[in-house]
Amino acid sequence: MTNLTDLEYLRLSKPRKILYKVLHFLVSIPKAILKLFKKIWGVIKKFGIKVKDEAVDIWTTFVNGSWQTKVSYLVMGFGNIARGQILRGLLFFLFEAVFIFYMVMWGGHWLSKFTTLGTIGLHNEYDEKFDAYVIVEGDDSFKILLYGLLTILFIIAFIVTWRINVKQNRILDQIVRSGKKVKSGKDDLKSLLDDQFHKTMLALPLTGIIVFTVIPIIFMILVSLTNYDAQHDGYSNLFTWIGLDNFNELLSWGSGSSNLSAAFGEILAWTLMWAFFATFTNYFLGMIVAIMINKKGIKLKKIWRGFLVLTIAIPQFVSLLYVSKMFADNGLINGFLMDMGWITKSIPFWTDPVLARVTVIIINIWIGIPYLMLIATGILMNIPQDLYESSRIDGANVWQQYMKITLPYMLFVTGPYLLTSFIGNINNFNVIYLLTGGGPTNPDLLTSGGSAGSTDLLITWLFKITTGAESNYKLAAVIGIMIFVVVAVLSLIVYNVIPSTKNEEDFQ
Amino acid sequence: MATVKLSNVQKVYDNGFVAVHDFNLEIKDKEFVVFVGPSGCGKSTTLRMIAGLEEISGGTIEIDGEVVNDLQPKDRNIAMVFQNYALYPHLTVFENMAFSLRLKHVDQETVYKKVTEAAEILGITDLLLRKPRALSGGQRQRVAIGRAMVRDSKVFLMDEPLSNLDAKLRNAMRAELILLRQKLNTTFVYVTHDQTEAMTLGDRIVIMKDGYIQQVGTPTEVFEDPKNLFVAEFIGAPKMNIMKANLVRNGNEYYSEVFGSKMPVDAGHCRKLIERGIDSREVLLGIRPEHVTICEGPAEDNFPCTIEVNEMMGSELHLHVDTEDGSRLIVRTPTVTLSPEQRNHLVFGEKLYITFHGKVTYFFDPETELNILS
Amino acid sequence: MNNKEINKTPKTKKHMGMTAKGRISNTIIYILLAVIIIIWVLPFFCIFLESFRCETQGMAGYVIPKKWGFDNYVRLFTETDFLRWYGNTLLIAVCTAILQTIIVLAMSYTLSRLRFKGRKLLMNVMLVLGMFPGFLTLIVLYKVLSGMGLTGPGAVPGLILVYCASSGMGYYVSKGYFDTIPKSLDEAARVDGATRFQIFKKLIMPLAKPIVIYTILTAFMAPWGDFIFARYISHAVSSGYNVAVGLWSMTERTSIGTSYTMFCAGGVLVAIPITILFMILQKYYVEGVTGGAVKG
Repeated sequence: MTNLTDLEYLRLSKPRKILYKVLHFLVSIPKAILKLFKKIWGVIKKFGIKVKDEAVDIWTTFVNGSWQTKVSYLVMGFGNIARGQILRGLLFFLFEAVFIFYMVMWGGHWLSKFTTLGTIGLHNEYDEKFDAYVIVEGDDSFKILLYGLLTILFIIAFIVTWRINVKQNRILDQIVRSGKKVKSGKDDLKSLLDDQFHKTMLALPLTGIIVFTVIPIIFMILVSLTNYDAQHDGYSNLFTWIGLDNFNELLSWGSGSSNLSAAFGEILAWTLMWAFFATFTNYFLGMIVAIMINKKGIKLKKIWRGFLVLTIAIPQFVSLLYVSKMFADNGLINGFLMDMGWITKSIPFWTDPVLARVTVIIINIWIGIPYLMLIATGILMNIPQDLYESSRIDGANVWQQYMKITLPYMLFVTGPYLLTSFIGNINNFNVIYLLTGGGPTNPDLLTSGGSAGSTDLLITWLFKITTGAESNYKLAAVIGIMIFVVVAVLSLIVYNVIPSTKNEEDFQ
Repeated sequence: MATVKLSNVQKVYDNGFVAVHDFNLEIKDKEFVVFVGPSGCGKSTTLRMIAGLEEISGGTIEIDGEVVNDLQPKDRNIAMVFQNYALYPHLTVFENMAFSLRLKHVDQETVYKKVTEAAEILGITDLLLRKPRALSGGQRQRVAIGRAMVRDSKVFLMDEPLSNLDAKLRNAMRAELILLRQKLNTTFVYVTHDQTEAMTLGDRIVIMKDGYIQQVGTPTEVFEDPKNLFVAEFIGAPKMNIMKANLVRNGNEYYSEVFGSKMPVDAGHCRKLIERGIDSREVLLGIRPEHVTICEGPAEDNFPCTIEVNEMMGSELHLHVDTEDGSRLIVRTPTVTLSPEQRNHLVFGEKLYITFHGKVTYFFDPETELNILS
Repeated sequence: MNNKEINKTPKTKKHMGMTAKGRISNTIIYILLAVIIIIWVLPFFCIFLESFRCETQGMAGYVIPKKWGFDNYVRLFTETDFLRWYGNTLLIAVCTAILQTIIVLAMSYTLSRLRFKGRKLLMNVMLVLGMFPGFLTLIVLYKVLSGMGLTGPGAVPGLILVYCASSGMGYYVSKGYFDTIPKSLDEAARVDGATRFQIFKKLIMPLAKPIVIYTILTAFMAPWGDFIFARYISHAVSSGYNVAVGLWSMTERTSIGTSYTMFCAGGVLVAIPITILFMILQKYYVEGVTGGAVKG
């Protein structure tokens, strides 16, 4: 495969140009993968160097530091207080005190059990007072896992804080040596509204995200390495670490007694198919509606648009539940068709597996077009009119204008949107769950771990497994991680292929 | 009223790009200094470091003797006018100009006095109740300047303030800036990429390229005595003609060989060349278009060229001519001195003979690009 | 709207042939648009009509009621906890609108207009976190919230917490808006003596009115439709339901025979106020949606 120069490339005919591009893309894949690995290796190496630098810095700070600094290695915040930064010093000291207190009182306990996730569950014990065996509470694996994780995170937070404490002492040493004034607590508070304003602003959002997203996600990743389910609820029957067995079970195609992997494959295939159709039907039909409304000479634009936009306002659960009932066997549609005498038997919109999938996609168009119409209208209005004028002079007809100007422009501008929308559809819980509840039941998808229906997406399957009778938490965790993997791989590819995501400042 | 001193100032971006190298400059009280250079030369970055909008990677900046490296912009007592004016769109002209005073909780009477005073000077009194979007470009420019004026700051910084205006307005505003400067009587640092603005406004000009200072000097100095090839080409329009030539020493005399002609070197230049002990050598010869002379006929000290383009500018004529070996030169000649026949002669395809005025030729080292004479 | 002017110009001078052709294609478009609007509005029209049906309470194969009346509405308020659900949802929506707006604006403003160490890293981490499906963490959240007594009957504060806590991750649309405000405004203000907080308060917030309204509107509307978290966290305790869970429970197989028309009535009561609010603020919504899509 030779590389052509720009001019040589320009001489190729169109099909050969495409062929050249495709070949080039294929050839570049191994290179890209290699590059990715190199990048990862680079990051690891960088991290290693960083850790080494930190260690060296901690050591040299100690050796060169004043006595206040040296004391601070044990008593955090001492250096700050000794040099007049009472507020900072007290905060450091308080943090250390709380940490030590916690570790002594509870942390050690949780940590010691973390490796086994508990040894004794609910059990009978002889009680002398009653002279009988009574049920006694033992360990609770869930609590051990949760508090163990929190303790580990607390330890990490402590190490980071300790490091900041050391760094501050080094800076204080420098300031004192150069004879400058040390920042007071008042300055610190003031700077929180000025050059440290981002800390003030981010404090609340990031706390929320860490507590309600980051920690739960880490927790669920840990759960995927255990056998936590209805049989092992962690309380009456403890659960424990089982390594990657769950992933093995889900991904070992065809082997073993469980048909879980086959079910997973089918649901994944349908999820991707659904996401593809849901995204692109909406995209193109929405664009067509927008173009129709925006066409020159069409009157009452605001009214057409207004009616469509209005449907966005109505909460989805109302419209989806209602439409779902409309298509039911005894619903309005079948009722109407039978009244008219066009059919004698109800059309099985929700009970036939294939028809149910098609109906879901069609109703999704009904849900999605108003949004897409809005977005497309906004972009269409931004296409410079002179492009159309110049193309008219060049002799393009309406269709050519659409293919050569409107569509490329739209695709370029909405590239990132298409990706987000595709991912949104992979995780489109509402439409599936409210319309079909995942049904109709599919014998292929009845598994020991948790059953799914024909229209179930990974996300609704996950929901069913979590909340249904099976309560197969470990499997739910694994599926959640698999969804993440699918989304991440897709995004990685798309971000590297489409041009308009490259630079956040490009739009400014 | 203040001095600004930059010592070894350096700007390195996170990606390792060095925007400003070792910048040293002392700006005197009430001086008008212009930073000029092509885009990406670091002039705006330097200005923004003085303003405190960019962190200083190395060196120190002093305003009035105080090191301001670690001070926030608001604590540096400076005023700044931005290229796109940066007027606050939701505030009226009055409130725009009063913004800084409001932040300092100045009483209404003083605010009123200061703002109306500045508005008076700038002639925008009847615009005070308008919002910025209802103003024309020139009016916005005035408001931006007015906003800087009410602050009574020590240093006035301007970042390409005229570049968003059309040519006519720019010339008018330039003249107004000169007047304003006389009224305000404070220290100015002005950034522009336009050498005309630099020449007309500045007491001193700092010419920059790729993050390095090329030359600092008064307009006359940089025009008459450019330190290197870059400065010579950058200052003056149309730009200086540069060509390969041989400088030949003949005892205490020099002459230059250009395109097969022998041109004498001015006596003053010869003295300098002898002082520096320069022998015959290859040089780059520079001559400004207005110093090229058109001759009657062929002679030893001139050479023939063909006219490719003639641009009639009104008061003068710009001729783009090709020498016999294909080099392109520009010749600038005033029109008043030309007879109608001569004018008819100066058109596309005609041949003419040109020579250089010995006093105003420059010689540059082809390697270092430094001016041999300076 | 500027398209009005565009419409008028080409009409006046044109060949007869072209106008005729244009007229035909326009007529086709009008017909298509009319059909589209009917399809889109019909379900809402039907639900409205069915909510007044008194003769039967289950599903029926026709739309126009044989006997009209407000029975379903009366039953909704007397036989179910609808008022309670409505109050719950309203409370959740108001609190979420306030808290979420504060959080989202703080986050997006900071990421858009302040430069600090780790900003890029933070944005990348958010991107990765956003790739995990939202209710992967349902179990943990439920357990933790139930430990705090915020499930079942206490679901309202629990839900507010769930909606708001991680809302900082949805900063993209408003960051896109902040990105369009020129940086030099901040710089001018800093030179003028403003702290970053003052810039935020006195300069950017007044300019960001459209995006503030958009954020409030979307934050307010979301709880009315949320079903997943609401159902899980209210955990089959009726007093903790929001309208979505409450009305959904009416359409379940066991109850649909008697409460289908009540569901319609409830749907109408939920839809009307939100639709009115939406119509008033539509301009801002459209601005946010289109801007958001272009910015990615």
